[in-house]
Amino acid sequence: MKHVNLLYAAIGNVTRHKLRSVVVILCLVAILFPFISAIAILEGVKAQSSISAGEGADIYVTMDMYGRNGVIPVNMAEEIKKIEGVTRSVPRVISRIYIGGKLAVLFGLPVEEIKQMSFLKGSLPEEGGIVIGKGMADALNLDIGKNLEIGVRIISIVNRIPLVLRKEYRVSGIFTPESGIWASDLVLMNITDANSVFEMEGFATDIAVYTKPGYEAAVSEGLQRISKFFRIQTKGLVRSYIESGFNMKGGVFVALYTVAFAIAIPALLVTSGFGLSERRKEIGILKATGWQTTEVLEMVFFEGIILALTGAPLSFMVSYIWIKFFNGFFIAQLFIAGIGNIPSFTVPARFLPLPFILSIFLSLVLTMAGSIYSAWRAATVPPAEALR
Amino acid sequence: MNNSASSQQKAGSSQFSTSNFELRTSNSELIICEGVWKVYNEAKPYEVRALEDLSLSIKKGSFTALKGPSGSGKTTLISIIGCIDRQTRGRVVLDNKDTTGLSDIALSRLRRQWIGFVFQNFNLISGLSAWENVSAPLIPMGFSIDDRRRKATSLLERLGLSGRANHMSEELSGGEQQRVAIARALINEPDIVILDEPTSNIDVESIAVLMGIISDLKKNGKTILMSSHDELALRDADIVHELKRGRLSDN
Repeated sequence: MKHVNLLYAAIGNVTRHKLRSVVVILCLVAILFPFISAIAILEGVKAQSSISAGEGADIYVTMDMYGRNGVIPVNMAEEIKKIEGVTRSVPRVISRIYIGGKLAVLFGLPVEEIKQMSFLKGSLPEEGGIVIGKGMADALNLDIGKNLEIGVRIISIVNRIPLVLRKEYRVSGIFTPESGIWASDLVLMNITDANSVFEMEGFATDIAVYTKPGYEAAVSEGLQRISKFFRIQTKGLVRSYIESGFNMKGGVFVALYTVAFAIAIPALLVTSGFGLSERRKEIGILKATGWQTTEVLEMVFFEGIILALTGAPLSFMVSYIWIKFFNGFFIAQLFIAGIGNIPSFTVPARFLPLPFILSIFLSLVLTMAGSIYSAWRAATVPPAEALR
Repeated sequence: MNNSASSQQKAGSSQFSTSNFELRTSNSELIICEGVWKVYNEAKPYEVRALEDLSLSIKKGSFTALKGPSGSGKTTLISIIGCIDRQTRGRVVLDNKDTTGLSDIALSRLRRQWIGFVFQNFNLISGLSAWENVSAPLIPMGFSIDDRRRKATSLLERLGLSGRANHMSEELSGGEQQRVAIARALINEPDIVILDEPTSNIDVESIAVLMGIISDLKKNGKTILMSSHDELALRDADIVHELKRGRLSDN
């Protein structure tokens, strides 16, 4: 009964010192909201990447060029298809390119592959046509039926000004925001057009190879038999690149957050010290009327738990609303490069239990650090001193 | 103590060791102070001696008053006797128990079981109602909320505050706040009731009510120690000690 009484007393104190409680909870939200949002976005992007890798080809083949990935002849796709266990082999042209001052990903695929695309407004690109991402469309003010000029190469330089050979493509479709983070800055065209942009007719940047289940190793061996200059990347390898990349990003974020967190503790100490003289007096009164130090600390501990259990779920809720309903306005750009204040795609986010548990733990650390020590100090001096 | 049975019970539950005890209270003496000093900032240029080698004994069931000008050490002395402050040197014995070297836990138990303290400025907890203030000492003792409310309300009624139990402490007059503070001091049924300058913050009518309450407490066998410089309040005391510059002038 004693502990229940102390819990009720703590609830009473939290509601009685409304301003102090609200300030502490707001501080917790301010500290935890970016943390929960960042972890959710990182997990979301990671999951989407993992799905992309999972749904992608089983093997990616390029040619070795001075120890780096080089282009591969398109006709090698037919050769590769003959290897036992290969179901499809798709030559692709993928490159980063600046269009209208914006960095985009140019993606060229055979027409029959493009037909499988979804999340599209408008139609699939025919010859001379392109499908662009929502981010590109917004940035360059493009819509279906409009033309987009893409610089192919510099012809000459006159008075230090480069003369660029440009080709014009008609926008036949736009990816919808639901198509995901990768489609936002994408320019999709058929592989022939992509070849002409880079003036590399007959070549692809890689060939995506799809195999029957369990044939991956055998197909890899078959590829090596075709050419010893093939560079082979399996799905597992691609997935491990993605995971290690995100884990590194996550690690950097956690490291930065640890610093921010360490700064937040003294800030919260100051905040929870808000009304400290009144609190010190109250503790002095309780001690003078026979309360033990442990009983005072237990009550303060319960107060910390109540504040933490209010602050952490509230932070989680704010973060969820912010990402799901406001699509991570402003905050998403802190974690996904180059997307601006208003993301042009649905920001991927996953709210997992672990960050939630972690945020409760962090809240507890913050509230306890802010209250237990000051309460202990007030409770261990003679009550007359605390009341002075 | 009120009777020997209750004294035995309290002594048994207080868990204080009385072994190696040199100074013992006699049957009639409940409180003994021997050579008590209270020095602030000792051995520093701005040292303040609030109490100097003060010795005093108080009989069970008596009404003892301390008088003296401001700064004479009245509050310091009753704070030390009430176990809410510690002396620098000397000994304070409460019912054969030397409080000098007691731990924080033991002193808290002593305050809970033996002493009711009424502060000069009442020290009620703001934002709590009268009954909540009165019952605050019962919270860690495991009383249910209904029991606490019943006990507190009953005590407030006895002190003439029926109908004010649910009022916030800030809504009460000075005299009413003082009676709430007295009720809080009495809620644990202590043997010793200590009042620090109880007449300084209340009007004449309230002083009359207060003296009636003190008279009732005395009739119920409580030992009362009060500091005051109000002659009206001192009139009913059995013994009046005068303090001057931290010493008893009648020593």
